[in-house]
Amino acid sequence: MSYKIPMGPYHPGLEEPYKLDMICEGETVQDAKLHIGFNFRGIEHLAETRNYIQVIALMERVCGICSNIHTLTLCQAMEGLTGLTPPPRAKYIRVIMAELERLHSHVLWAGIAAKLMGFKTMFMTCFELREKVMDVLQAISGNRVNYSMNRIGGVNRDITDPPAILALVEALEAEMARTVIPIFTTSSTARSRCAGIGVLTMEKAISCGVVGPVARASGLPQDLRRAAPYAAYEEMEFDVPVQPDGDVRARLLVRALEIMESCKILRQALAKLPPGEIHTEGEKFPFITGTATSRVEAPRGEVMYSVSWKEGSRNPARVHVRTPTFAVMPAIRWMVQGARLADTPLIQASIDPCYSCTDR
Amino acid sequence: MSPLESISERLGITEPWVEKGGVHWLAPGAKSVREVAQAMNEFNARFVTITAYQLPGDQGFRLEYHWDLNGQLLGFPFQLAANSIESIFDLCEAADWIEREIHEGFVIDFLGREYEPLLLRQGDTPGVNLREEKK
Repeated sequence: MSYKIPMGPYHPGLEEPYKLDMICEGETVQDAKLHIGFNFRGIEHLAETRNYIQVIALMERVCGICSNIHTLTLCQAMEGLTGLTPPPRAKYIRVIMAELERLHSHVLWAGIAAKLMGFKTMFMTCFELREKVMDVLQAISGNRVNYSMNRIGGVNRDITDPPAILALVEALEAEMARTVIPIFTTSSTARSRCAGIGVLTMEKAISCGVVGPVARASGLPQDLRRAAPYAAYEEMEFDVPVQPDGDVRARLLVRALEIMESCKILRQALAKLPPGEIHTEGEKFPFITGTATSRVEAPRGEVMYSVSWKEGSRNPARVHVRTPTFAVMPAIRWMVQGARLADTPLIQASIDPCYSCTDR
Repeated sequence: MSPLESISERLGITEPWVEKGGVHWLAPGAKSVREVAQAMNEFNARFVTITAYQLPGDQGFRLEYHWDLNGQLLGFPFQLAANSIESIFDLCEAADWIEREIHEGFVIDFLGREYEPLLLRQGDTPGVNLREEKK
């Protein structure tokens, strides 16, 4: 006899509300249906009521984890409509902020995944490390969640002492290499809890159009930092970790390896930070009527902004945001099919879902 | 022949690709969105999203369909005189949620599919969020 088990909208395994209705036979999940919209704030509509300065602050609040990425993508799109090119130093600072944000996002996810594996000591270790990443973000921007770093034509704040930030990054890298990375890549606890569950095959990953670490964990080597470089990524050397298995362990490995790649990028960007201005001159921008699009590789994968402007307007006519979780979340249905019910909290968490981003 | 030229040839479109605003655009002419989606599948392009715009006056809507081909963002604009267009959900399952979202935001019907609520909750009205009522 089959029966329906709901997970959510409020559940200890979920960071934010959404709902997964699972059809089970015994302990095995046969199928699942996802329900989103519990965090819907109408942000795309609100964006049409804000001017070109206010809209940056608004879009920073789409997500509490990758807030910087949203303003970066929006500002890049608006730079396309104003014809402004940020100075080289601003592009490097954008890379540094984006990689610090990736570090803090991946370490946060690692902590939550550890908790769902029943590995609570690791949860505490990850969150202690995340605090240190946030300390670095605070040292640069003065803020810990919404950094207010990006503006049209550059960034708002300079990195005045790169060697000091570099020392913090190196200390972080050493700590991660000592604790998080070996445990997630070699420990038998992580392997036994994650290997072979929540599989998303490469064929299904392509069909669902998934992005980011979830795609890379299903064998797809897609990363916009490499395929369509923005900011100063063209000048960075880094690898794109790819795993073929498509299971929870593969997603764990991809993110663990990406933490080390982010540290590698940070070291390069801080060492090579060019001198000069951090933004273009002026506060008023003549917008070109039309539409511009920008894409960025956020911690969870591709973010895309389409921004449209009408002649003479101070407000955007339309801001459309395609977040990575919006592309990845439907694949949870396929990941949980055939899984044990007890594994489903970890499987759904393995995509590192951002429910607020998805609903906007 | 470049991949973009191959796509034009496959679709039988003689208009050139235009790079603008970070996107390689191809005007689909008389080709339907389903023909474009089929061609994108054949070229292993990754579906990215659909962006809907409400046009001034009684001009209706414009839908911009986006695919990624090896890091290049491709765009195909479709103008809707009425409030409907064929669904590509059966050809491209990645389009499921965005078709539902656009339906709820703009009351555009994607023909040939059934809807379930996505962002709206029971009792909410489609179109109340993004569709502007003409006076």
